Amino acid sequence: MKGEHLGEFEEFTLLAVRALGDNTYAVPVQQYVEKATARTISIGSIYAALGRLEAKGFLRSSMSEAVAQRGGKSKRVYTVTPTGLRTARDLHRVRERIWNAITEGGRS
Amino acid sequence: MTGLPRLARWLLHLSRVPPETRTEVSADLLELFEGRRRDHGTLYARWRLYHDIGSLWIQPRRFVSTATPRSTPMLLGDVRGDLRYAARLFARQPIILLLTLIGLSVGLGIATAAFSMMNAAVLRGEGLVDPDRAPGIVRTADRSVSTAWSYREFLQLREGATRMQVEAVLTDGASVRTTSSEADSAGSTPLAFVSGGFFSATGARVIAGRPLTDTDDHGAGPPPIVISFVFWTTKLNRDPNVIGRTIWIGRTAATIVGVAERRFTLPNTRMLWMPLTSYEAVYSVTPEPTPPNVLVSVFGRVLPNVTFAEAEAQLSGAAASIAAEAPLRVRLDPKVGLGRVAASTTLAVTTFVFSVIALVLLLACANVATVLISAAITREREMGVRAALGASRWRIVRQLVTESLALGTIASTIGLVLAHWSIPVFATMLEAPAGADFAPDLNVYLFLALVTLVSGVGAGLAPAWHSRGTDLLTPLKGESARDNRTAPRRLRSLLVMTQAAVSVLLIVLATLFVRATVRAASTDVGFNADGLYAVWPGIDSGPDGVGIKAFWARAIPELQAVPGVAAVTLAEIPPFGDGYKASMTREQPVRVVLLNRTRGEYFEALGLRMLDGRTYTQGEVAAKAPVAVISQSLARAYWPGQSPIGQLLPQVIPLPPTLAAGGKSVVPAPRPTIIGVVSDAITARLHERSTFAVYEPIDPASEIFARLIIRVAPGATGVVQQVTQRLRAIDSHANPVIASVTAGLQREASRPRMCAMLAGMIGGIAIVMCVIGLYGLTASVVSQRTREMGVRVAMGAQPRDLLRLLMWDSLRPVLLGLAIGVAAALVASRLVLAIMFFGVSPHDPIAFIAAMLLLIAAATLAVVLPTRRAAATDAALVLRDS
Repeated sequence: MKGEHLGEFEEFTLLAVRALGDNTYAVPVQQYVEKATARTISIGSIYAALGRLEAKGFLRSSMSEAVAQRGGKSKRVYTVTPTGLRTARDLHRVRERIWNAITEGGRS
Repeated sequence: MTGLPRLARWLLHLSRVPPETRTEVSADLLELFEGRRRDHGTLYARWRLYHDIGSLWIQPRRFVSTATPRSTPMLLGDVRGDLRYAARLFARQPIILLLTLIGLSVGLGIATAAFSMMNAAVLRGEGLVDPDRAPGIVRTADRSVSTAWSYREFLQLREGATRMQVEAVLTDGASVRTTSSEADSAGSTPLAFVSGGFFSATGARVIAGRPLTDTDDHGAGPPPIVISFVFWTTKLNRDPNVIGRTIWIGRTAATIVGVAERRFTLPNTRMLWMPLTSYEAVYSVTPEPTPPNVLVSVFGRVLPNVTFAEAEAQLSGAAASIAAEAPLRVRLDPKVGLGRVAASTTLAVTTFVFSVIALVLLLACANVATVLISAAITREREMGVRAALGASRWRIVRQLVTESLALGTIASTIGLVLAHWSIPVFATMLEAPAGADFAPDLNVYLFLALVTLVSGVGAGLAPAWHSRGTDLLTPLKGESARDNRTAPRRLRSLLVMTQAAVSVLLIVLATLFVRATVRAASTDVGFNADGLYAVWPGIDSGPDGVGIKAFWARAIPELQAVPGVAAVTLAEIPPFGDGYKASMTREQPVRVVLLNRTRGEYFEALGLRMLDGRTYTQGEVAAKAPVAVISQSLARAYWPGQSPIGQLLPQVIPLPPTLAAGGKSVVPAPRPTIIGVVSDAITARLHERSTFAVYEPIDPASEIFARLIIRVAPGATGVVQQVTQRLRAIDSHANPVIASVTAGLQREASRPRMCAMLAGMIGGIAIVMCVIGLYGLTASVVSQRTREMGVRVAMGAQPRDLLRLLMWDSLRPVLLGLAIGVAAALVASRLVLAIMFFGVSPHDPIAFIAAMLLLIAAATLAVVLPTRRAAATDAALVLRDS
């Protein structure tokens, strides 16, 4: 295991892969994250994030069959691993807990 | 569907995206680009495209890879695969493997041997720590400059010096026995008598026992001795209980107190160190430590935070109290400090050795490259298959370099073994001193590793360079793309040319050496060496040499009475003995004048004719009169056309200072008056044919170092035995060593024979390697041109024409190389080696013609075999095949 930490951008990427229904590849992920965050996202940063997530064991990748649409070139498709999913959920829960504390404390 | 813009493709190519994922990335980029163009227009799409490519440029490479990251073990795995492949390939072509290995290992072996000798001789030094702070202490008086001081003067200097440590050393040689029963060895072991602080001043450490210290100057009992690492290893077989062991220096027992660290051989490859105060004990019967009555070489270690000027000023003050005839000035000069080889010698040796190394390596590399290229020509199809399967050019080059590096590693291992064997041979050839330690150290291994790397990569890149610009896939289609390209042919020619040039150069040098040997053996030395013997009595000299003087006084008349002995005389230096004394004139060009001190009968004993004036009388010898006899050529050089009799010896010929009566101080030698001129004689340095000589009467004090010269009448037999018996009868302890001057002359004459063997051996290997390379290359090139030959035959060419064409094509680079090699040999023999070839013109035509004929014959043979095969091509067969 190469580290449990999940950065903000990595979290977006991971969730995007999950949201796109797994077996997705870099281009849809880029489009999804760009739309969701309303930021300009470069493909390079998506590659980097996917690579890091895979290295940490949060994503799994494989080569797909050639698709006619891409000129017969195959592509690398990603799936979120159970570990990845659990880590994202944990992160979400931590956030919720903190937000709850803020609302209970009366300062929002 | 259109592709990415050309600029984008190009930028992507230059980015850090690994090649294996590049197609995938470019597909992604294209998909994004097209989607954006559809939704937002071309301008926006282009902007985002370059933005994306920019992001690929700055992302760390590791994460740009969307494929599995390429980890180090994988790369190693690739290399392992390369190696496995190389092994299989070489197993299929064992001849090529063998040839390459022989060439490389011989080249690396010779280069390593040469380098480790130079490393020992020049680079490593003798173990003096911080030599710039350990200057020689030079006395300047009148016109004489030297580091020689009497022992008493040294003591005075040392007393006055607080800003530096002042130490003295006297180099000597002695016969050494390691057990009391062992017979006296004929050779002498290099020995140094040193003052107490010698070891602390030089910074030398011991690996066992202790170094000599100041207390050793006054100790009673057997004198202490420190032995060198080499002595410990070679003479005492690394005896673990060496400390306290007794060895015999001459007839004096000495106790080993320490073993010096490995690299320490100061000054001048010494093997033993003893206190200066034991000098008298070693050479006489006085067992007590006494101040010796000798000249010592004085050096110092300037203390930290003291400048040279301060130390010099203080020493000058101390020197002022020394009574001297001329005002004495003291100078500190690191250049004449201990163990400093004269810069010019170092430079000459370095240049020569490095040229040999460079030549041999050039040869080996060119050879290996030739062999690999001819292999590569036959491997074109294989490379084509690799390229077709997706191997990048870099991948193919890496395969080639891995192969040649693997070869280089094996070859360097063999080369190291070869070097190990050849170093003692080289050492004998170059007459290396006995105390030198040639065992390879880290420097040598680093050198070998570097050279292996450079030659391996170089030799591996040559075939890659050779095939640059070719379409790797063309050979797959069954045709050769090579015929019309000139660049690879030029590289091949260049390699063949280099080898031919180096071979010729080496062979020419070898021939010149051989001829120099032959000439030297027939040199007229000016006297008849047959029947001439030099005698060393081998007895204890007694205090102040009384014993030895008495011995001479009795021996000379008795030997004269021996039947068959024609003449007996004394000389400080016998002809062609162990050493010589020479003076370098202070003029341009510098002349070498040999100096000797003799009795008056010396000239007659040698058979030199007195051309003018007279020899010195017995009275002049006894009174140490300042007179001299000079050689004919010296007289001609300085007094052309007139008689030098009665003139003073010119000031440009410096004479060494002498020890004043009582041994208290050193005085400049008085200028002698010339009283006679004798015929020329060569008595040392045969190959320089130096006939300039100054003879002075032997001073009674120097008689203890003199040799007896005996001339045996022609036809007399058994004289040497009789002389030995007589000398033993005079002194029962005498152990006379009688050396034949003829033997010395022959040893001297054969010196270039060693160099001839060395150069000839390398030259021979060079030619064999060149021929092997040429054969392989011609065979593969010719086989490539079979189709062309077929066409030519079909057009009506005769086999004879084909033969001529192919031969000329293959031999042209050889002839060019020949011309270059001869030109290089002309320059080299004139510049570097002219000094060694006295009597042989550096442009000796026989040497050159012999070398050229040899190479042309060998090359023709190498070319004619494969060419004949090709010339016999059956046109119909070839054309049908294609």
